[in-house]
Order: sequence, then C-alpha cells, then structure tokens
Amino acid sequence: METIVLLTLAASALRATTPLLLAALGGLFSERSGVVNIALEGIMLFGALTAALVTYYVELPHVRDAPGTSVWYAPWLGVLAAMVVGALVAGIHAVVSIRYKADQIISAVAINLMAIGVPAVILTGLFGNNTTSATITNRLPLWSVGPFTFSPLVYLAFALVPIVWFVVFRTPFGLRLRAVGEHPEAADSVGISVTRMRYIGVMLSGVLAALGGAYLSIGAFNQFITEMSGGRGFIALAALIFGKWHPLGVLGATLLFGAFQALETQLGGSALLPPTVVQSLPFILTMLVLAGFVGRSVAPKAIGKPFTKS
Amino acid sequence: VLQALVDDPADLTIEETVARAREGGLIIRRLPYTGAGMGLAAFLTIVTGLFALVAGARVVRAVNRPLDRALAAMAIPAVSIVLALAAAAVVILVMQPTPRASAFEFEGPLIALAGRLDTLWLAYYTMFAESLGTAKGFADALSFATPLIFTGLAVGFGFRAGLFNIGAPGADGPRRDRDDVRRPLHAGTDVAGAARWRSPRRRSAAAVGRVARLAQGPLRRQRGHQHDPAQLRGRLAAAVHALVEPDLRRPAVRVIQLIGVVVGVMVVALLVPWLRRQMGRGPRVVLALVGVGVLVGAVVVSQPRPGDAPYVLQLPFKVPGSEPKSYELQPTARLPRLPAVFGIDLRQTPGTNVVPVDVALPAALLLGVVALVAPTACGARRRRAPGWAAPPARRSWRTACSRRSAGVRCRGDPAEQPQPLVPDRHRGGRVRALLPLPHALRLRTARLGLSPKAAEYGGASLRRNTVMAMTISGALAGLTATHYVLGGALEDYALRQSIPTSDGFDGIAVALLGGNSPVGIVLAAFLFGVLKNGGSLLNITFSNLTRDVVSMILALVVLFIAAKGFLPERLTNPLRRAKALGDLPPEVGDGKPDRPPDDVPRASPGRPPTGAKEELG
Repeated sequence: METIVLLTLAASALRATTPLLLAALGGLFSERSGVVNIALEGIMLFGALTAALVTYYVELPHVRDAPGTSVWYAPWLGVLAAMVVGALVAGIHAVVSIRYKADQIISAVAINLMAIGVPAVILTGLFGNNTTSATITNRLPLWSVGPFTFSPLVYLAFALVPIVWFVVFRTPFGLRLRAVGEHPEAADSVGISVTRMRYIGVMLSGVLAALGGAYLSIGAFNQFITEMSGGRGFIALAALIFGKWHPLGVLGATLLFGAFQALETQLGGSALLPPTVVQSLPFILTMLVLAGFVGRSVAPKAIGKPFTKS
Repeated sequence: VLQALVDDPADLTIEETVARAREGGLIIRRLPYTGAGMGLAAFLTIVTGLFALVAGARVVRAVNRPLDRALAAMAIPAVSIVLALAAAAVVILVMQPTPRASAFEFEGPLIALAGRLDTLWLAYYTMFAESLGTAKGFADALSFATPLIFTGLAVGFGFRAGLFNIGAPGADGPRRDRDDVRRPLHAGTDVAGAARWRSPRRRSAAAVGRVARLAQGPLRRQRGHQHDPAQLRGRLAAAVHALVEPDLRRPAVRVIQLIGVVVGVMVVALLVPWLRRQMGRGPRVVLALVGVGVLVGAVVVSQPRPGDAPYVLQLPFKVPGSEPKSYELQPTARLPRLPAVFGIDLRQTPGTNVVPVDVALPAALLLGVVALVAPTACGARRRRAPGWAAPPARRSWRTACSRRSAGVRCRGDPAEQPQPLVPDRHRGGRVRALLPLPHALRLRTARLGLSPKAAEYGGASLRRNTVMAMTISGALAGLTATHYVLGGALEDYALRQSIPTSDGFDGIAVALLGGNSPVGIVLAAFLFGVLKNGGSLLNITFSNLTRDVVSMILALVVLFIAAKGFLPERLTNPLRRAKALGDLPPEVGDGKPDRPPDDVPRASPGRPPTGAKEELG
C-alpha cells in the first residue's frame, strides 16, 4: 500500500518535473549566452497553444468521420510546430534585446503579456471562447519502461540533461556560448560572433521551453487552456539559478520543485492543510531559494548586458 | 425605422442592427455608428492638421526648444502606441468579417474595401469614443485607471531605484486553470514580501508576486470588520475553539507531526558526518535537505488514516455559502464616492448613471504628485554638482536596469551624516527634514538607479535603501486593492475572488508608457483606462472581438517601447541627438551645463531618453 502510494508520487513527481526541466534547460542555453530569458513562461504558453492547435487540425479530417481514429503522426507534428513557434517567439525576444539592445527583462515581460492576450484572441477566432481550445483525440503516446508509463517527452527531458551538459561543457560550440556569456569582448576579439551565438542561445531556449509547453497541452492534457503553464516558466528560472546554471544542478532543482508540485496534487484533496497553503509551497520554496542563495550562485558575468561591438 | 434603431440601440450586435435596418427598407451603405462620432476622414484631417501645426511651430525659434523637448519625451511612447494600434488593426481585420446581414452582398471591390475600413474604424471608435465622449464613459475610464495609477507608480518607483518590481503588483495574471487559487492581491502582502527581499534579484519578483497572490494575507481580509470589537472577540473565541474542536485538531496534530519529521531529518543529517560536512559547505545544501525533509514528512503524514473526516477550512470573514467573497464592509469603512464628497448623490437623480469614481482616484493622483516632487528635488541638487553625479551618457533602459539601487544617507540625521564630499549636498537639508513624507520618499531613490557606485561612495547603504524602495513600491501596489474592496469598484464593498489581478502586469506597461514619471504614469493609466473600458464595449458591439484584443495591444505597446519604437539610435540616444542638433560641442561627453530642468528626469532610468523630430500625432 505504502509502496504503491510512493511509486505513484514518484511517477507524478517525474511528470511534474518534465516541463520545468525542459524550460530550465532552455533557459540555460539563453542565460549562458548572456541573455536573461524570463519569457520562458510566455514561450511555454505559445508552445502549448501551437501544439494543441496543430494536433487538432491535423487529426480533424480523420476524426471528423470516425471519432477516435488514431492518427499517430498528429501529436508529433504538433510537437514539431511547437518547437518552430517557440523558436520564433524567442526570436522576437532575441531581436528586441540583441538587435535593438532593449532591456531584456522588459522585452521578456512583453512576451509574457502577449502570451496572455494573443492565445485568447486566437481561441476566440477559432473556437468561439477565449479560455480553452477544442479537445484533441490523439495525445502523445505513452511509452512503458518497467513499472512506469510516461510520455516520450518525459524521457526526452531527462535524456537531455547529459546531452546539454556535453554540449555546453565539452564541445567548441558550448565553449563559445559560455565565452559569449562571460566576456563578450574577449570572445569577440578571437572572432566569435557574439550576436550570432546569442541568437542561437535564445532560440534554443525557445525550442526547449516550447517543448515543455507542448508536453503540458498534448502530453499531460488534451487541450490548451489559457495560462495553463501556471507559473512553471518562472519556477524553471528559479531552478536555473538554484542549479547554478549547470545541467546537473538544474536537474536536482527541478526534481525538488517537481516533487513539491506532485505533493501539492496529492495533498490537494487531503485533510492535512488547506489547499491554498499547499499550492503556495512551491512558490514559497522558490522565493526562499532566490532570497537566500542567489548571492552564492555565480551568474554568467555578462548576463543582461547588451553587447556593443566597438 | 431609423428612429426606432436610434432609440433602442441596446446591446445589438452590428449584424443585428444591419439586419433590422434592412428589414425596415433602409439601404445600408455604411456601417451604422452609434453615437455622434467622428468619421475616419474627419479624424485623419485633424491628425494631418496637427502634423502641420507641429511642423509649422518648429520654424518659430522661440518655441522650437520646448517643443523639441516635449516631442522628445513623447516620441517613443507615441510611436509605440501607433505601431501597436496598427498591429492590432491587422488582427481586427482578420478576426472580424465585415458585418452584414444575410443575403446582403457587397458589390465591387471598392465597397468591400470601404466595409473593411468601416469595420476597423468602428472597432477603434468603440474603444475610444464612449470613454472620451460621454460623462458616464469618462467616469468608467477613470475607474479603470485608478488601480493602474497605483500599480504603475509602484513599478515606476521601483524602477527609479534601479529595481524592476514585476512582483510588486502581487499578481501575474489569474490562473484560470485552477479557479480556487485565483486569489486577489491584497494590501500588505507585498510589503511583507519586500521586507524579506534580501538580495535584489529581479527574477525573484515573480515568485514574490505568486506567493503574494496565493498567500493573500488572509488575516488582513477582515479589514473593515476590525473596528467592531465584538467580532474581534468572536474570532479569538473561534481560534481557541479550533484547538479543542476534534475536526480541526486532527490536522493540527498532523502539522506538528510534519514539523517533527523535518526536525528529525535535520538531526539525522547532523549526526551523519558526511552530510554534516556537506551542510557546512553551504546553506544551499541545508535548504535542499529541509526541502527533502518536508517532502518525506508530508508524504508520510498525509496518508489517509481511519477516522479521517473531511473538513473545510472556513475563515471567519468568509460569507457563508459557496460564493468566494468576504462579508460586505460596513458603511463606515467604505470609501465614499467622489460625487458624494461634494454633496451630490447621483443615485438620487433619476435616469443618471452612478459615476463610479471613488476617493481612491484623488488619492492616487496625490501620491503621484508626491512622487513627482520627491525625485525632482533630488535631481535639482544633483544638477548643481554635476561632477559628483554619474555621467548621464548612455542612460537607457538597460543601463538603468542592470544597476542596483542606491542612495545617500538621510541628510537630516547627523549621526549618519557622511563626510561632506560636496558641500552642495547639505544645502537645505534641515528644511527638508521638516517635511517627513517627501523626505522619506525622496528616499535616495533619485540618486537611485542612476549611479549606485557614486551613492555608495557618498556613504549610502545600498542594502537598506533597496529594501526601503521595494517596501514603498509594494505599499503603493497594495493600495490598488483599496479601489476594489474599500471603493466598491466591483459589484459590492467586499473582497471577491474576481478582483482583476491582471492590473499588476498592466502596471508595468503603464509605468513604461509613462516613462516612470508620475505625470506620465497618470496619463498612461488614463489611456489604459480608456482602452479597457473600450475593450469591455468591444465584447458587446462585435461578435468576434473581445477585450483580449485590448490586452494584446497593451502587450505590444510594452514590446515596442522596449525596442525604443524601432526608432534609429540617432533619435533615441540623447547624446547623439543633442550633437546632431548642435546643442553640444562634439567633444563634450557629459550633459551640458545649462540643461533645462526637464532633462533631469529624462536622464533617469526608464524615461524615454529622447526623441524624434518627426513626431507622430
């Protein structure tokens, strides 16, 4: 009995970790290249919206005639489209903050604001209500490994941790990325294109954050709901700082936050604490982490500073 | 038929209006505008006239400089608004087909084009005309603007101190996926958050906002009942009762168990030598261990046990029943309506709508004036000692934001008096000490985000002033809720779950649009009020447009302002612009000695640094 409960909790913790991990790994690319990206939240929402819409319209001609038809490629196209849109939305952030040297926080806030208004406008146009999309039939499949059954994006997220570590710390590309984030002038002097590396970093973060969003809408759920990310982008950022901008640290931090979210789900219905208190646990933890430990995390040195080639 | 339509325009969509008019045999060539409004042509004429006026005035040497300054301050916001409205036009055209009755066909491309233009114009007309054209609409717009002035000032104040308080509003949008957690921001919660703010990491602001919304300072909800001692006693009795009541005792015991588990984990961790060494290496590990302890403890404690009874947490100020709201405030605790203050009760006038403006609005304006006076006073001093202040070159959003707050020590307090580096700084200090509020508010914010290093050199406590600035910013944000709860801007004088938490993010946009100057913030808030009021009318007038269009416009405004309106740097960089105008000798890298007063806030963070000659109307 106890083991079953614990297994369920562990599984739901892994599920809750997945979007956080994807977004945080994305943020790692962006911040290592020296661009603060608090737009993760907004990008996740755009990714979730795109994935749900594309999946819906791809499966629509098949499902309309025979409800319940399995169209295996529909969700994968949705994931692909979400990645593209995520890169584009992050591209806006990149253009405004790199090309126009805007304050990176403000341009990201603008994207987060848009992620509230634009999906509502699109949903109104397509489905006639401004909060939810139509439900989709073909969600991402579930793959079983041992006792667990997860969406493929869960495996992908955890597999990405060593991959990202290798890319960032063991490849020339990663070295350039970090150099640009630490000391852009030095990187520039040895012929690395600072702006190009930063564009790549930000757009990669968009791709990964949108994957996290796609997991929310077509992996964990079967439709898009306005603001369904519910602050996960911001928590991912906190995990990034807590994890010292290192993939392994990020993994640990997101696991902790994910476990709290899973706990929140489990405790939500129990008589232990009022639900609001339980729901605020991850955020209180986030705040504690940021308030007490930020000084000890060493951020990439040039983070937040636009680079002007002299 | 036409008269009937005019008499009874209530809540008809355009389609219905057109259909009804056609049924009556009218020939519809243009969309029926409600109200006596300006047509697109008239509007364009006026805009062209304004352009001509500005261009003409620039020839006159006497007005050229002030005009240029005004245009410079307005250039980026104005361009951004125009760009955002243009982008929204595309969305409106895509979303909203030309309203037409069934079997009504447009003949020819020209008429179709006219129909599109009419649709677009009607949409913008709906957004602006009611608020600007009617007393009721104007008052509604003011009512929408009131909370935005507060949140805008909160963000703007933080910005002036070099901090970006995206959490101060205590809200980053309602979480519609979980209705039960959508709680209002409330006065006070953010002040608590700010006090805990030890390290001014901007990003933690988001977390503060979320906690503020979730934690929502429940105890403060009873505000308005507090002046009733009988109720206070009742609540105390309830609290005592909770400890003896079996239904409530069980969870209380579990919380104690949970704490026990956490303590146990920590003790075990201290006993294991390896873990103890790890913990000695940093508080990060300690925190992680506490987290794990809470996790494990909560899992163990939360297992269902026999004898568990479902219980509902019911705080004493909650109205009985399922509706998520508090008791209504007693009449003595309400903010009076503004007309009532002047002895007019509009409710008694038959046929007149209640003007929903309460005294929160003048309070907001007053605070705006105070906030205006404070930094300007400092700025004036700074100008007298230009060598001491940071060079204003390249003052822009990003430099402002990448810096931390700073200030100088309280000048009125001799104990903290730093060594006089520049004698100028002490001029008038005693007089200012007599004015506690402006003195506190001046708060060194002005010295501010501008030049933290210089401020520290002058003996400022960076840490304390940061906390102070954030606290004031949070206090301003907390006042937002007074409008909704004490002012009764929603249906009644009660705390409701439906308090629009999006005001927080909109406050950021307002502060940006207003260039962080109090006057600008009030103006920008009014513009937003107009747009929001118009947005709610869009819902009624159009079948396919909602107020989300307005929220999209606001987001776009922020984006464009961030990108400095996509204006070339020649125009947006004050230094380069001044050189181009010949105001500066080419070798001068600093501000010019005879800078006019307006230039000082312009150099401050966030103020759109400058401007364009080719201003848009």
